[in-house]
Formats: sequence, C-alpha cells, structure tokens
Amino acid sequence: MEEWNYQTAEDLDQTLAERLRRFPREPDIFVYGARLAGALTIRLLLKAWHRFTIRGQEHLPRQGSFIMVANHSSHLDALCMLSALPMGKLHHAFPAAAADYFFVSLPRLALASIIVNALPFHRQTNLRQSVSLCQNLLANDSPGNILILFPEGTRSTNGQMNPFKPGIGKLVAGTSLPVLPCYLDGAGKAWPKGTWCPRPCRVTLTIGQPRQFQSYGQSREDHDAIAAELYQAVQELAEQKPAE
Amino acid sequence: MSLQAAIDSGIFRFYALAILSLLAFAGITIAILRWRWPQKMDHAWRSYLGWLMMVPLVIGAIFLGRFAAVFLFTIISIFGFKEYARATGLYRDFFMTGTAYLGIIAVGITCLVTDPNLHTPGWYGLFIVMPVYVIAALLMVPILRNRTAGQLQVMALAILGFIYIGWMFGHLSFLTNANHAYGYILYLLVAVSLNDVAAYTCGRLFGRHPLRSEISPKKTWEGSIGALIFSMILPWVMWFSLPDFTPRELILTGLIVGIGGQIGDLAISVIKRDVGIKDTGALIKGHGGILDRIDSLIFTTPLFFHMISFYHPIQ
Repeated sequence: MEEWNYQTAEDLDQTLAERLRRFPREPDIFVYGARLAGALTIRLLLKAWHRFTIRGQEHLPRQGSFIMVANHSSHLDALCMLSALPMGKLHHAFPAAAADYFFVSLPRLALASIIVNALPFHRQTNLRQSVSLCQNLLANDSPGNILILFPEGTRSTNGQMNPFKPGIGKLVAGTSLPVLPCYLDGAGKAWPKGTWCPRPCRVTLTIGQPRQFQSYGQSREDHDAIAAELYQAVQELAEQKPAE
Repeated sequence: MSLQAAIDSGIFRFYALAILSLLAFAGITIAILRWRWPQKMDHAWRSYLGWLMMVPLVIGAIFLGRFAAVFLFTIISIFGFKEYARATGLYRDFFMTGTAYLGIIAVGITCLVTDPNLHTPGWYGLFIVMPVYVIAALLMVPILRNRTAGQLQVMALAILGFIYIGWMFGHLSFLTNANHAYGYILYLLVAVSLNDVAAYTCGRLFGRHPLRSEISPKKTWEGSIGALIFSMILPWVMWFSLPDFTPRELILTGLIVGIGGQIGDLAISVIKRDVGIKDTGALIKGHGGILDRIDSLIFTTPLFFHMISFYHPIQ
C-alpha cells in the first residue's frame, strides 16, 4: 500500500509562547474562531464607543495582495484598519506590530497573535528580516495577503504626523502592489499613548485611492520619494472634511 | 459527585491527601537534589513542574464535582485530538476537525445530561452510540463539500482520532456518574500513572530485552513485566477504593491497567513513529504533549469501564 502523506505542523514541538511568536503561523481552528469572535466584538465596541465611521471602503481591492498605510497615534489604529476589511479576509490581514513591545509578555503576545494577527516587526534589530518577511507575505497573490503598516514607526504624541520612514518605499518600489493611503481621525484623542483605557471619542477612517510605484527603482532616493508621496497622500486625506 | 460529596467521601479525602503529600514530598526532595546536582536533576525538575501543573488541576476539578470533572476531561480530550490533528496534518481540514470537536463536545454532554428513560445522571444509551452519529457526520463532510482528493486519508484520520481520543477517553467522563465514582476514577488515574513509573523504573534497573524495538526502543520486557506485577498487586492494596469488587474484578483490574496501560503507550508511539515525531506537543513541561500524558489512560479507561459494568451496574 502506498504510504500516506502527513503534513505535520511545523511548530508541533514548540511551547505556546514560541508558537505565538512564530511567523508565519500555522492555521488553527481555535485561533481563527477566537479571532472572528474578537473582530465582531471590536467592531461592535468601535461602533458603540467611538461612533466609528469608514469612508472609501470601495477603494479596497477585491483580490490580490495590497498594503494599507496610515498615520499612527493610538493602539486603536490597527483595530480600526482591520475593521474596514471584510471578515473573510481577516486571517490574511497582518498589521505590523513592534516585536519589542507586543511580542514580549504572554498576555500582549496572545492578543497580538490571536486577535490582531499581527506581524512581528523588529524596529531596531533585524529590520532587514522584517522587510523580507513582508515581501514574502505580499508575494502570495492567491488568495492575497493584506499588510497594514504605520510608516511613522511609532505612535505620535502631539497629534502631528511624523515623517514616513523609507522602508515602505523598499517594499513597493518597482512592484505593482496597490498601496492605499489611509487617515485615522480621532484615534489619538480616543486612546492616546500612555493611557490605559480608550475614551468615547468619535473615530473616522478615510481610505484613499490605491497607488502603485512600478516606475520607481531601488535607490535610497526612490524609497524616500515613495515615503514622501504616501505621507502627502495621507495628509491630503486628513485635510478632506466629511460632508455635514 | 459534588462538592459536598467530595468533602464527605473518605476515599476522595484519602487520595487527595496522599497525592498532594506525595507531590509536596517529591518537590522538596527534587529541589534539594537539584541544589546539589543541578544538571543531573534538570529533567526531573522539569517533569515535576509538569506534575505540579496537572495534579492540582485534576484533583480540583474532581473536588468541584461532576460538571467540573466532565468539563476538564472533555477539554483534555479536545486538546489531545488537536495534538493528534497537528501531528498527522488533519488540522489543515477545518471542516473535518470542527466536526470531530463537535463530536467530542457531544460526548461530554451525554455524560452530563439526565437519561430521559431511566432518569439517572448521564445518558448512557446516547453515549454508547455516539460513534455512529459522529462517524456519519464525518463521512458527510466530503460529500457536502463535493471533494474526493485525499478524503479517504482525512476521513480515516478523523474517525480514528474521534473514536480513540474523543470517545474512548470520554469513558472517564461517564465514570463520574458511577456509584463509586471517586474510587473508580481516582484509582484509575493513580494506578495508570504508577504503572508507567513502575515500567520505567523496572526497565532502568533490569531492562535487557527490547519490548518493541521498532515502536519504542527504550521499552523492555523486564520493564513491562515489572509494571504488570506492580499493577496486579495494587488493586489488593487499594481494595477500599473499589468497594464492590470481588477478587475476580481485582485481577481483571490489574490486567487491564498492567497490560492495557502499556498497549496504550505503544499505540500512540506507533502513530508518532509513522508520522516521524518524538512528542505529540510541548504543552506540559517535562512531559511533552497531552497525548503523551494520557496515552495509557485512553486505552485502559473504556476497558475498565466495561469490565465494571459487565459485573456491576455502573449507576
């Protein structure tokens, strides 16, 4: 008789913490269930506590990989971005999260890994590996992965956007990957850096038209130019006022 | 089984005191030896930490009563099946594994609900035929999905996993409805664990001839025979725990634990060798996965259960 083919999980011999830190993660029915339940709860809470509104959802590509970039001022940011996506895409959406902050203690690790499906991003150490991880993720076009990035690199504390780091340029230069600039209004006021609990402030997410950067090369100047263009695009969304 | 019944039960109090005392004594001893020989005692310490996690959890659940005990055993079953699914690759098929998980939960529920005909705790009639319904549901999965490729393997793995880890281990949950639940469950848990320890100890001291070299290279005939002898003696020492048993049932109990315990261990080892892994997981410090811990119990529990019910009414 022909032998069966066993596709053993690659993290079988790892402890829980090791498995949560690992990326990419093995599919897990319980994790997927918890993530869906978490997403439903978060969407309800965002609606009820923050009167969360999303504009420009029609700009989201229906298939293939793409990137969403946004300003960063709060822990609410990733949750708001995920809430803009269809539930069916949740397990293929990966907000980049600082590995040195979210992937250390077990409770934060569990939340980041299970509920948010965060991609551990090494800001200080191993930046090249993190960028390579993002590139591999985005190379998968069927069913396609969604990368959520905050190119400022850290949460703003003064309500002003910090300049975008050039890493985003390295990822998308010379590719046809759609990049959607997004602006989050009110998240920094609702849950600013340093506070424990979000306040009931209105939060709005505006999703802009996708952009592509095929004509750009891999020089440092091109990366900076892409970062600057996306920064400008997010600024423009910030200046748009919603219809009264 | 209930909180008050546990407090009133001399058998429960004896086991709880004995086990917790042994745990404390072992902890102090290993800690002292570890202070003197840290490297030599490292494995023993990690193994002890695993026991420190498991024992209070199990004793606590049994103490809290039938619902807590069935809940814990069902959770163990679910996570045991999960390890099996991850080891064999079945975990990638969410529909099949989801159906099996629902089947395991259903087994747990049958242990808790009242029998509508006999008005006794636990619906035995439904419990015993649950494999029929779950296998039917598992066979329907590829039909509903209109798939054929690889489905024989997936169905076979799911059915084996449910029957072995879900339903056979589920007999431990149903034992919570027995007249002498504390005696039966606690005896079984202790006897199976001590059987493993006896096999290991006798193997280390006297082991020469491999038992099943292809399946488990470290097991020896000497270790197995030593464990069997130990398990044949233990029921007589712990007869108070098995009140209605005659000498015939004590002998059968010894054989079930002594032989069945080792076959259970080897059965999981067959799966592990075929798949090509050493442990089924890393959930329990120093012990590997849940399946590595309950492998003997999965095999012995239904044999023990049906041996009792053949000679005595379980409820």
